[in-house]
Amino acid sequence: MTSFALTPSLRMTYASPIEVELTRLSEALGHCPDLVARYPMRWLAIQLLEGDTLLQAEVERLGGSVASEALAASRMRLETHYGEDLDVAMVDQRYRFVHDLAAQALTRPKTPSLTMSDRVDRIVTNRWLGIPIFLGLMWVVFKLTTDVAAPFVDWIDAVLTGPVSHWITSLLSITGLSGGWLESLLIDGVIAGVGGVLVFIPVLFSLYFALAILEDSGYMARSAFVMDRLMHRLGLHGKSFLPMVVGFGCSVPAIYATRTLENERDRILTGLLVPFMSCSARLPVYVLVAAIFFPTMAGLVIFGLYLTGILVAIGLGMLLKRTLFGNELPTPFVIELPPYRLPTLRNIWHQMWERTSAFLQHAWTIILGTSMVVWLLLALPVSGEGSFADTDVDQSAFAAVSGVMTPVFAPLGFGSWETSGALLTGFVAKEVVVSTMIQVYNVPGAEEEEVGATTIGEDLLAIGGGFLSATGDALKALPSIIGINLAAEEDEQAPDGLTGAIRQGFDASSGGHGALAALAFLVFVLLYTPCMVAVAAARQEFGSRWMWVSIIGQFVIAWLAALIVFQGGRFFL
Amino acid sequence: MADLTIALAGNPNVGKSTLFNALTGRHQHVGNWPGKTVAKQEGKLMIEGKHLTIIDLPGTYSLSAHSPEEEIARNFIVCGRPDAVVNVLDAANLERNLYLSAQILETGVPMILVLNMTDVATARGLQIHPEVLSTRLGIPVITMAASRGQGLGELKRLLATIARTPREAMLGSSVCA
Repeated sequence: MTSFALTPSLRMTYASPIEVELTRLSEALGHCPDLVARYPMRWLAIQLLEGDTLLQAEVERLGGSVASEALAASRMRLETHYGEDLDVAMVDQRYRFVHDLAAQALTRPKTPSLTMSDRVDRIVTNRWLGIPIFLGLMWVVFKLTTDVAAPFVDWIDAVLTGPVSHWITSLLSITGLSGGWLESLLIDGVIAGVGGVLVFIPVLFSLYFALAILEDSGYMARSAFVMDRLMHRLGLHGKSFLPMVVGFGCSVPAIYATRTLENERDRILTGLLVPFMSCSARLPVYVLVAAIFFPTMAGLVIFGLYLTGILVAIGLGMLLKRTLFGNELPTPFVIELPPYRLPTLRNIWHQMWERTSAFLQHAWTIILGTSMVVWLLLALPVSGEGSFADTDVDQSAFAAVSGVMTPVFAPLGFGSWETSGALLTGFVAKEVVVSTMIQVYNVPGAEEEEVGATTIGEDLLAIGGGFLSATGDALKALPSIIGINLAAEEDEQAPDGLTGAIRQGFDASSGGHGALAALAFLVFVLLYTPCMVAVAAARQEFGSRWMWVSIIGQFVIAWLAALIVFQGGRFFL
Repeated sequence: MADLTIALAGNPNVGKSTLFNALTGRHQHVGNWPGKTVAKQEGKLMIEGKHLTIIDLPGTYSLSAHSPEEEIARNFIVCGRPDAVVNVLDAANLERNLYLSAQILETGVPMILVLNMTDVATARGLQIHPEVLSTRLGIPVITMAASRGQGLGELKRLLATIARTPREAMLGSSVCA
């Protein structure tokens, strides 16, 4: 290698009047050592002439009046040439420089061909078809996460409540620790709590699979483009929609993704709306409750919840835009649509694994921790005859703490201490709603079907066989995505202990309208604070004032929406 | 030990994060929507016994500080004293991508151009002449298809040369404090 220079030898020259002032200005600024130490002079001069307010303030601070006067004088002289449009002229000249450079470095084909991507986009981003296609794809995603994942959910559930619990009990009896509080902690705390959430890994896995395909194929960026027209008509910024789509996965990165919005008010507004997009952690709650109360149309209920989230976000956005956040000049929406690509298996697998392992990590820390706290509070008797780890759950400390909240939820149809407790722990993370529900509704004795002693070999065989039949069921469920039902209608099984307990609980707290109360409960779960991490992210991005606005606003909206669902539904039914 | 800091800059969605992962062996989530990399990411690379810190800057179309991302990118390029900026461009959209390059050029920071996605550009019938850019701008220009691993070796060789070259030879004037 003969010469090795990385510092560009070509300097982009502006029109001569500007160049004259750039030289003058950088010389004037060069007298201030603080500025020289910080910035390249020519670059600084260019930014100042272009009207960069941040740097202008910096120059006034460090360079004092001499620097500001030099800048004002330069601007004044240039005004005779360019009027008010100096910045436009400079950007234009830069574009011309770039255009020349590109013209030399690039030979374009004589007739630019319409790429495959362009052709697909004519349909997918079509004015009329765009939104129906978006909704159709969402529908496929929810069928995938409910019907196709369901057999695997059952399989993991069977493994955890069967062989795994069984192994733990035998292990404890070998070591002579069975029957005590340790067994209660492991079975009722860890297996019921963390295990109850682990069961939903297939659901999340299939959601992450779908999101990875949507993202890698290039559709995700299009969904924002498609929605821009609608969003714009509603007075929102098109760029807001992308963080919202990201919010389907998790609110936390979605809150950070609001940084793409240039306008601070649009950014905060979007940050307030993002949590209404149903994140993946809420999905297990939907699946659990919908499977109990709406077994035949769980997919539809879940789809409806996602849609409700979007509608609430958009509606609220319109409202806020016209009140608190009004009267702002709209900034234009520019988004680059990546060419459609066939997603690579490696990339998809990688994303699925990364997100699922993040979820598992979550399970071992936050969910395990919360489950243990809930177990401890459930094990502590505050009234009645029970002793530690041997008390009726109704008389536990957890029931007492959660009981305080019940009046708040009573008008919504789910004012029992069990659901209040689940919603309370749900502030930590949404998966915890599931683990808490399983813990509090865990009827001792009901779950333990006396199975004859099995050997580990038999257990393993049963686990393997269960997986194979789950795979078969999942494959049979695939055609149902487009409406073909291959699987024979399952005989409705007699409700097991948990299902029965949850159904009874909702029936009791709602005066017999259990299903309606369950729906209101799901709407509440959809709309209230996603989790502590999202709250922390909101605080970091928008400050604690907005964080509180967000927390309280979400609670009020969730409460009102659940009230409308329950009371409104009761009025009509 | 002379540590070097190399910043990756470019428009959103030109493959910066893919390149970052390929260089550092890290597994930063790679996505194709703008706003994925909202803060700068850091990774390490060892070349010829030297530690290189690779910084993946958020994707921006310009360096005018209109959004937090642009501010992050601009502050790092101007004040973070990177030993070199690797400006990643989408070869299939060269002209639009070069606008940011022109702005980076104005900061006077040492830079390398990486024309990524040349496979896509070729498929569209575009002919790229990297040598023209290299001669006109006086800086190294590399063609690459990062998703297929093409051009990565050349970039690594170039980084190795940078690691061997005394800093003063590359950096003319000093930048920020």
